[in-house]
Amino acid sequence: MVTSDGSVVERAADLGITYFDTARGYMGGNNERMVGTALKRKRNDVTLSTKSHAGSKADALRDLDTSLRELGTDHVDIWYLHAKTRPDEVTDELIEAQQEAKKAGKIRFAGVSSHSGQKELLPWLAKNPNIDVVLTAYNFTQEAFMNDVIAEVEKAGKGVVAMKVMAGGLRTARPGTPNYDKFKRDGALPAALQWVLQNPNVHTTIPSMTDMDQLEENLKAMSQPFGDAQKKLLAVHLRQISPSYCRMCGECDGQCRKGLPVADVLRFLTYAEGYGQFGLARERYQELNPAHANSKCADCPGCTVQCPYGVKVASRLIRAQELFAC
Amino acid sequence: MLAAALLACSLVPGWTQHGAARSYTADNLFEYMDGNSEGYLLYGFLSMRGVTCEKGGVTFVVDVSDFGDADSSYGMFSANRDPRLPTEKIGAGGQIVPRRLVFVRGQYYLEIAANPEGDHSAALREWANALENIVEGSTEPPAALGWFPAEKQQSLRLVPESVLGIRMLKRGYVGQYDYGKAFVVTDESPAAAGATMAKLKARFGDTTAAGIADEAFTVTDQYLGRICIFRKGRMIGGYANVIEGQDAKALATALAARL
Repeated sequence: MVTSDGSVVERAADLGITYFDTARGYMGGNNERMVGTALKRKRNDVTLSTKSHAGSKADALRDLDTSLRELGTDHVDIWYLHAKTRPDEVTDELIEAQQEAKKAGKIRFAGVSSHSGQKELLPWLAKNPNIDVVLTAYNFTQEAFMNDVIAEVEKAGKGVVAMKVMAGGLRTARPGTPNYDKFKRDGALPAALQWVLQNPNVHTTIPSMTDMDQLEENLKAMSQPFGDAQKKLLAVHLRQISPSYCRMCGECDGQCRKGLPVADVLRFLTYAEGYGQFGLARERYQELNPAHANSKCADCPGCTVQCPYGVKVASRLIRAQELFAC
Repeated sequence: MLAAALLACSLVPGWTQHGAARSYTADNLFEYMDGNSEGYLLYGFLSMRGVTCEKGGVTFVVDVSDFGDADSSYGMFSANRDPRLPTEKIGAGGQIVPRRLVFVRGQYYLEIAANPEGDHSAALREWANALENIVEGSTEPPAALGWFPAEKQQSLRLVPESVLGIRMLKRGYVGQYDYGKAFVVTDESPAAAGATMAKLKARFGDTTAAGIADEAFTVTDQYLGRICIFRKGRMIGGYANVIEGQDAKALATALAARL
């Protein structure tokens, strides 16, 4: 967990939070040290997980030994293969590393974490007898199939941990920023967490806990049910972001009759409009192949691209062409 | 961003690009680095450009991130360097370990991860020199670092929000010492800092006034231990988690004198 001070982790453990997640790579390795120090007195009372991005068995096991040293423990409860999107990324040698670590008592459970590609990956993991826990991005902006693949994992007797639970426009909202203040005022942040927790197939979540205040907000959200008011709030939020928010689901791939890489162009537009990075956006647009960079959507008789989330693709592409084309 | 245009594997002779160049913003950084992106976003990350370079079976993953201002990029560096190992004068500050280079210059934070296992320090140093030349910006560390005593200092970092885990202490520097944790937060104005002090007193409850700078108090907290907090103009500073045998008030008094 990325937090501002170790005392937040300590307090979370005292208030009854029993699952803490970190990763070898977070904050250049400093995060594991901070979490380990903060949980030293509580190690036996909590479930602790970390992750490795390594691509080979030797590197992964080396990472694990470093993690154990930095966390100040002789074992972690869950050890994830980090950020996998396809079954072929969960290689035999990485599985072998997990099994070897399990036999040596360095880990209790083997896991895989995933941000995308869940449609194919999660059913595959559900059938994989070597995998005990799946950590997946899961939030109210995702497609309905996520409920099915999560249910499949749970039915297979594996643990399901949800991350990125406050997604979309909420993801980058930081305390003190106008967006954050608005979401907080409207109750969208706790509602997003409640939405995830109401799924009985999700066993726990890892929302961020930047400070003591957010810890308390999260705990409060956990104690309240996800009701009609919260449902309405998230629906409104979804409607607000739908016309422009690209979820990078890839459904538009190959739909444009001119072959435009639609998701990429929409992302460039976000660089400019969302983050004020006009130069970067234009530069990336200019890197498209010339036929695409010079395309004019306004010349097409009708757009063939249909976004399943309601992004107004044609008007967004025209906007990008107006801004970035020579 | 100057580095974006000039970042190339050919910066160091013999290296060739492996795969396509990368670029990310705060919106999609998590696609590249998962939850680690939270650490970048905390410091006001704006954008990243990167390339993967190869030479003789060794790959360097080179990334240049723009944090918008020198304070934030230095903050990112201070949070990501290994505090147990020495830093060196690369840009405004840098660190080279066998498989990793991190350094900061101006608003840019630069990092290289080397593969496979081995000591790549010499090549990383060569890259540090090359990269330093394509990035503009100050090579001086933030002046705030001078506020904190150097003796027995384990680490000193910019905490971008919620200093000591308290949201009302918005952004400031925290120095970890053998004997406790020093911090300094700069508020918008003396009046705003005064209001924050009042809220802090209310939060901690049973405080005792201490005669330091404009106003000060001491208190003991379950998580932050023995604390002394003062206000000097628009600055709020002090010590937390002060160990037995050390005088929190005396430490805070000395810190206030350095501001």
